[in-house]
Amino acid sequence: MHNTLTRVQNVFGFFTSVAFAAAAAIAISVLLSPQAPTASLELRSVQVVKGRPHYYSTKREEYAHIKFDLDADLTTLFNWNTKQIFLYITASYPSSDPSTIPPSEAVIWDAIIPSNYAPWHQNTYIHPTPKATTKVKKTAKKGKKEIGKAYPAGAQPGIIKLDGQKPKYQITDVSSKIADRSNATLTLHWNIQPWVGALVWTNTKTVGRWQGLQGGEAKFNFPPLKGTEVKKDELKTETGGERNRGSPA
Amino acid sequence: MFGSLASLQPRQLAAQVLNFALVLSTAFMLWKGLSVFADSSSPIVVVLSGSMEPAFQRGDLLFLWNRGQETQVGEVVVYNVRGKDIPIVHRVIQRFGGGSTPLQLLTKGDNNAADDTELYARGQSYLDRSQDVIGSVVGYVPFVGYVTILLSEYPWLKTAMLVFMALTVVLQRE
Repeated sequence: MHNTLTRVQNVFGFFTSVAFAAAAAIAISVLLSPQAPTASLELRSVQVVKGRPHYYSTKREEYAHIKFDLDADLTTLFNWNTKQIFLYITASYPSSDPSTIPPSEAVIWDAIIPSNYAPWHQNTYIHPTPKATTKVKKTAKKGKKEIGKAYPAGAQPGIIKLDGQKPKYQITDVSSKIADRSNATLTLHWNIQPWVGALVWTNTKTVGRWQGLQGGEAKFNFPPLKGTEVKKDELKTETGGERNRGSPA
Repeated sequence: MFGSLASLQPRQLAAQVLNFALVLSTAFMLWKGLSVFADSSSPIVVVLSGSMEPAFQRGDLLFLWNRGQETQVGEVVVYNVRGKDIPIVHRVIQRFGGGSTPLQLLTKGDNNAADDTELYARGQSYLDRSQDVIGSVVGYVPFVGYVTILLSEYPWLKTAMLVFMALTVVLQRE
């Protein structure tokens, strides 16, 4: 029994050492994979209305509804160690005291783009088909072939082409006033989730083989408050694929 | 087995106990040293819920870093709800303040349609970066932490593991 025990221990010890070394090698090797992301982000429209944008809003407050166009090529961000990319677009605007307080920032839209090797999950992004072609019906019952992909037909993960995209979230300010703010910026960001290793966020500067993001920024101003002439369905938001739809888990 | 224990000299028995204590205290000090290095009370956490799927699954191990006070939107933070001891791993979706004022954050799980306002303490609409946040996720290893989930869901596993470890330490020194 002594011999068997020693053998099992040795095998297990060796297994963990090798697994640890392989994981470390995979995590560090992503630095060798070149990246050249490009994106073109443009503001389509922004409207500021007064209402109750959140399920927990107790009083009416000003909120902004921002539609945008996005044309991005992020295929080089996907390497052997990429599990998914969390893509998100934020609107940032200066604070009440720009010299001492950094700008406020809020996410208006996000998408989870999985790599081709990641298992299917309900919460992944489904790229809308361009309006020129016929719409593909999503049937949840039969097979994965009929479920939409996170990229346009015939492309690879990382290609995004959006036209007049509705936001997922309406944004409010902590002071409940967001109209008439100038020097706002719409920015594209990503968060690369690896299979193992360090999480990586957007790099605008070039680091080794990783080139910084070219483009992906749009400057705008928040317009004055609109009255009742804005139709309700113009302010509808995009529904994501999140599984927990009621109270947060 | 207990016969071999009884035949040990008191000095050898003391050396055994000391060895065991040394192993335990080394593990403890490694943990505390990492806590100081990362400036976080809990620098390694295990994901307990599926609210961040498909990025993080239950059982993934997360490495936290707490020295970056200017948390940006899109970072994944681990925070404690005020008054409760449950760590929650969610992504920051809004930030206000910072600099000379306290940095306020709003979070949301990737797999939740609603943001975390309902999870916060009564009367609290935003997280305070310096008070509520334990750390920001910088790295992760999949599946490794599932053992701790099993240990907490099946308490008999804990005693079984401890007995097994004690036996191997004692029997090896023959």
